[in-house]
Amino acid sequence: MLKRGDVIKLVRVVAETHETEIGCDECFEQLDSFAETGISGAEASVAMPLVGDHLDKCADCHSKFEALQRALRGT
Amino acid sequence: MRERTNEQWLAELRGPNPDEALADLYDLLIRGLRVGLGNYRGGVDANAEDFAQEALIKITGNLDSFRGESRFTTWAQKIAMNVALTELKRRRWRDVSLQDLFARREGADRGPADPHLTSEQLALQNTVLEELRRIIDEELTDRQREAVVAVILEEMPISEVARRMGTNQNALYKLLHDARKKLKRQMEASGLSAKEVLAVFDEG
Repeated sequence: MLKRGDVIKLVRVVAETHETEIGCDECFEQLDSFAETGISGAEASVAMPLVGDHLDKCADCHSKFEALQRALRGT
Repeated sequence: MRERTNEQWLAELRGPNPDEALADLYDLLIRGLRVGLGNYRGGVDANAEDFAQEALIKITGNLDSFRGESRFTTWAQKIAMNVALTELKRRRWRDVSLQDLFARREGADRGPADPHLTSEQLALQNTVLEELRRIIDEELTDRQREAVVAVILEEMPISEVARRMGTNQNALYKLLHDARKKLKRQMEASGLSAKEVLAVFDEG
């Protein structure tokens, strides 16, 4: 059951929902290109908006992206 | 490590003497895992070798799926991060069942009304809350409701919720996407704009 303290969290997520979103598999397929685009200084979310949108919504995929980006910068 | 083009990586790994390329790739994966996941709670250091080894098996077994849209080493490190994070999350959440999560949630007091709210504000919050509850109860399927609670409200990793619900991460994301779209449409149909709802609750 929805509690008072959940409302803001839920409504923010719902407000950001789009008719067209890619899933985790499609995001993962493009994650290496997306990370390299970001490292090169370009705005990856402009070049690949659906991947950027997915990463904003999916904490699991976002954690992979962050780790990959750190690795690329540090290796 | 010797610099290689994507084509050289693929040729060496597929060739008759892949040992040097495998050793270089393994070293790169270890370094990447340590840098990429160094601050992950639960730690990656003790397991970096295992994760790199497992990733290496996946990488060499799936060379044909590399599409050449990034550097080969980036693609390989992506696979290593996936292996490591999937396992680290599995370990971190292994003792939590969805039933426990839902039971704890029912027992928890999640933000009673702010005592500083006026009676008008409180009434408005209650009206919105009741309508949102109705939409969730009447419009979502049981599985959608479970996923919304576990992933969105309780912030359990989607991969872990998927495992417990007998599905996979991609399918669960799509199920959640359908649930979010339904909630959005029904909120609009009920005259609840997100901006107004957030204003009503932020006032508290």
